[in-house]
Amino acid sequence: MCRRGHGQSVAMARSSVNPGSKFSSSFALHICVLAGLLASHTLATDALPVPQQLSILADLAAQQLSISWVGGAATTFDLTILRTELDETVFFETISVASNPTSGRQQWNWTSAEPLECTSLSVQVRSRDGQSTSKWSDTLIHQGNDLPTNTKAQVYPQDKVVPVGDNTTICCVVKEKRRFGSMFLGNTTLASKLISRRTYTITVVNQRPSGPAGTNVYCLDDQKTLMDGTVVFVGYPPLPTDFVCETRDLTTTVCQWNVGRESYLYGKRGTNYFINGRRCAGGKLERKVCPLDEWGGNWTLVARNSLGQHELSDASELSHRVCPVAPVQFSAVTHAWNATVLWQWEHDSYYSLSLACQVELTCMGVKTKRTFTGVGLRSVVVSNLYPDEDHSVKVRCGAQRNFWKWGDWSEAFPFRTNVTFPDAPDVWVWINGDNTGQLVWKPMTHRQSHGQIRAYKVTFWSPEENEQHSEVILPNSFAAPVNLSHFATFSGDRIVASVIAENMGGASPPSSVLIPLNWTDKESIAASRAVYADGIFPLSWQSNENATCGYVVEWHQGSCTVNCPVKWIKVAPGSSNASIESADFLPGVRYHFSLYSCSSEPVQLLQRWQGYMKELVPSSPVTLAAHQEGSDLVLSWDGIPLVSRRGFILGYSVYISDGSTSTLLANITDPEARAYRVKGYSTGTYKFTVKTYTSAGEDTGATASVTLERYADWLILEILTSLGIIALFMVILAFICCKKRNWVKKAFYPDIPEPKLTGVWSRTQGPLDVKPSPNSVVHIVEKPEWDSSKEMLVVIPEEDEGDEGQMIGDEPVDTDEPTSIRYYNQVVDERPIRPRFPDSSASSASSLDSARTDVTYTGIQTSASSLVWPADPQGPGESHQPLADLAAAAAAGGGGGGYKPQMQTTAQTQDLGLASPESPSEPQADFSGGYKPQSSWHFDSPTEAGEGSGLMPSLGSPTSVASTQFLLPDGEDGGEERRQPSSSASTWFTNLLSSSKP
Amino acid sequence: MATRRTTRRLTGSEPSRTTGARAAAIAEQLRHECSILLELYKKKESFTPDILVADGRLVSVPPPSSQLDARDKLWCVHSALLQCHILMERAIAKEEAELSGGKRADYETQRKMVKDRLSLLLINTGELLRAMDGTAAVQTPSVDGLELNSPTALFELKVWVYRIFREVDYWTRTAVSVLQALPSATTKERMMTTRVRSVRSTR
Repeated sequence: MCRRGHGQSVAMARSSVNPGSKFSSSFALHICVLAGLLASHTLATDALPVPQQLSILADLAAQQLSISWVGGAATTFDLTILRTELDETVFFETISVASNPTSGRQQWNWTSAEPLECTSLSVQVRSRDGQSTSKWSDTLIHQGNDLPTNTKAQVYPQDKVVPVGDNTTICCVVKEKRRFGSMFLGNTTLASKLISRRTYTITVVNQRPSGPAGTNVYCLDDQKTLMDGTVVFVGYPPLPTDFVCETRDLTTTVCQWNVGRESYLYGKRGTNYFINGRRCAGGKLERKVCPLDEWGGNWTLVARNSLGQHELSDASELSHRVCPVAPVQFSAVTHAWNATVLWQWEHDSYYSLSLACQVELTCMGVKTKRTFTGVGLRSVVVSNLYPDEDHSVKVRCGAQRNFWKWGDWSEAFPFRTNVTFPDAPDVWVWINGDNTGQLVWKPMTHRQSHGQIRAYKVTFWSPEENEQHSEVILPNSFAAPVNLSHFATFSGDRIVASVIAENMGGASPPSSVLIPLNWTDKESIAASRAVYADGIFPLSWQSNENATCGYVVEWHQGSCTVNCPVKWIKVAPGSSNASIESADFLPGVRYHFSLYSCSSEPVQLLQRWQGYMKELVPSSPVTLAAHQEGSDLVLSWDGIPLVSRRGFILGYSVYISDGSTSTLLANITDPEARAYRVKGYSTGTYKFTVKTYTSAGEDTGATASVTLERYADWLILEILTSLGIIALFMVILAFICCKKRNWVKKAFYPDIPEPKLTGVWSRTQGPLDVKPSPNSVVHIVEKPEWDSSKEMLVVIPEEDEGDEGQMIGDEPVDTDEPTSIRYYNQVVDERPIRPRFPDSSASSASSLDSARTDVTYTGIQTSASSLVWPADPQGPGESHQPLADLAAAAAAGGGGGGYKPQMQTTAQTQDLGLASPESPSEPQADFSGGYKPQSSWHFDSPTEAGEGSGLMPSLGSPTSVASTQFLLPDGEDGGEERRQPSSSASTWFTNLLSSSKP
Repeated sequence: MATRRTTRRLTGSEPSRTTGARAAAIAEQLRHECSILLELYKKKESFTPDILVADGRLVSVPPPSSQLDARDKLWCVHSALLQCHILMERAIAKEEAELSGGKRADYETQRKMVKDRLSLLLINTGELLRAMDGTAAVQTPSVDGLELNSPTALFELKVWVYRIFREVDYWTRTAVSVLQALPSATTKERMMTTRVRSVRSTR
């Protein structure tokens, strides 16, 4: 019953507002809980009065509900607020509220997070006393704009202004029969929340300042069609600064302040300002200005916008806040070097005010400030001006006493100073090598001319001759010709040249230069290097006592020699250095600097320099030529013109190139070198490049090709020299041979001793059986029937080949040899003979190489050594027996008689047993006359034949002789001491021949 | 009278041709500038590109139908442009009053450019109408029925301004097509002669 009663009252209240809505399960549960609480406190309920006359007053802009009721004496109440449609509790809280003594009502203000238009809200109140509560009051509903009767789409709040950083909930009431799509903040969609059947909300947190047009929040349906939207403005409350009031006219007030922090709110939502309750627009500038009609002494500034307001105050006496206005109506009285500037004041009160005024003078862009003081100041004299120049002044003033601040600057007042006579020109002289030249002076700047120059007056005069010559030069000319030859007849050593400039203001003081009639040749003084650094040529010199009026440093381009555009500076006396600076200096140009002394005497050249602002590589290469000198190549080139050098030449690099690559051949560090000799190259074509280099590097170089040809003269000379040397050698050889012919003869052509028969020839027994053969083949035949008592040589003629054949059948004879004379030398050296050939056939073959006759001497002891061998055991006397026999045989052989020289008394069987093809041979026998072994040698050496001293050697004979031993002479007059050296020579020669033998 | 009007037509044929070409060029330029203005406005107001604004004409002039002759089409366009100009002036004033502040941006510059160009186009279309009508002055189209009441809510005001710009864009495009489709001078002469004859016959 209780549940029903309470429930009915609540339901009725709701139904009266929203009969179409149905109870949700949560709402039912809530009602049950509420009913239970009421039932458990029946006694207390009965004691507490139920709040009556519940009313709601809504402030839509503030989103605030002002809820009031009559609650009697109770001071504590439970207040609940629900979203009516969805029965969602928005607020439930126990509050303490005292009744208004006048009306007897309790009131409570509740601010909603979401706009009150979004949906309907139900409000109930009950009294509370501790744990006891009264019944709930009747439900009062604040109707939202989402009622079905309001079918259009809506967005709330509309055009709200919120502070930066605030959170704002915005709701969208969807148009009836449309479906919600999305909500956008700007171009960003946000998550939405459903709070009623048609209402969705979004909450924007920590909002940033918006633009002048605010931030759009709009709602789209599911077709992305715009339904409605709102604009949210986010900004700051006003916060002005520097509020101050002052007077300009000593009567009224002008208050100023800065806007301070930007509010980000504009137009209708922007800040409004009020001073002492009076609205001031303040203008659109950052610094706001508001004039007031009178001096109040106290001022309050209130700045107010949609988000709040801010107050600033100021207070002061008038005399302490004087800020004069700008003076007006300027005028000036001008002179050449100063001007008087006058002005007026807008307010008469200023004329009795002590003022301090600042005058800003502007001349040629340069500003200077000067301060003047005075009561009611209205004119000042501005001095130190430049003649014939535009000037302008601005003036501002302040109160001299209790100075507050400078007033406003006046408008600039321009004026022009008057013209006056020019300064003296800066004069110098340039003399060429031929005593001509020109007097030059610098063009005057406006600061020097003090007006437009009308002409220059040039005067040349000689102090001694008291003669002068004047001429007028046009204002745009800055030189006058000088010819010292015209003054050659003067008695003095100088002339004075002076220049006077004239303008409308008058003539300048004259400027003079003393020109010596015998001008010093510049080249007489060596020039040193001037090094450019940090934008200047620093020059220094030793101070000259004679330079009483200082120095002149002149410079010009080194390539110029006649009437050069010279520049100069004048240096004070006592100085010993100067920094030459000019914007005209060009890289790669050589400049010549000259130092002159200035005194009462004519100018005198003291020192010279040369330098480059910046050295470059030469602009043009050398002119290169190449030619051959002898076997060398000579590269020669000309010097580069000064204008093309563009730097101090340090040397030349010589390259040889083979098409693609260049190889440095030489680095010539002598700048004056003009040739280079290339040596040691063979014939061929070569390409040479010579590059000139400065400190900036090498130039492109000049290239020349040259072909190196064989040097014919030298070849001829070589040949001739060789021939000469050979001839000389031959002469020397011939001379030596002539001088030493005896030695040569003995060494190479020793006499072959004729055989001598010292013993008894008759001892030789047996006939010499010689068979002359056409081929003179000597066969050594071993006769079987030979016995020791009849030992002899048997010569087998070639004609007896048939017999020979028979004999060969018994003898070991080389049958290939057609003719052979064979010896059976019984007197043989018993020493073992070093075998030369492996067998007899080889020896025979060797002997057959002879064209006609091959005589094989084997074992013929002709050498001295062999002759002195004491090999014979039979004693010395017997040892010479064979030679004696040979000599005897030779003597006897001339008649072709029998020959038995080799017959020895020693047992021949043993000797024969040693006989071999390599055995020593016996002397050959003559064809016709039997055996005359030495006769043929005599024939070969006819010149020696007559000499009784000895026998001729077999060399030079047409007969080929293969012998291991020479037959050396055994002259009667030779003796043993003569024989010995011959023996050694012959041995050497024998060895030579032996070694040459195959 | 007829002779005088014919003479006016003959002397006015050449100027009408140049005026038509000039008007077409101005309309083309305005179309370009108006498209830029729309982009700037959408960017300024952060409107999503695919947003659909409920349609509904602000300009109370029916679009020129194909049954109309060139002159009537031009008249129609001229009337619409005149209403666009009035609406635009109103929109600018409301924007300045409600939403201005801060530094001038590209949008404000472009907006002024479009408004001035629209004025120039109106002058040219007016001259063209005068030339086509052969009269010294053309009648000013009526702007009765033009809804000039701007919304009070700022968002609605912004949408209203946007719709005005779209109207300007639409009618500028229409003007471009109408002006470019104007008959050549010869055809125009023939057409105008026919019009004069019909007037005579009617009389």
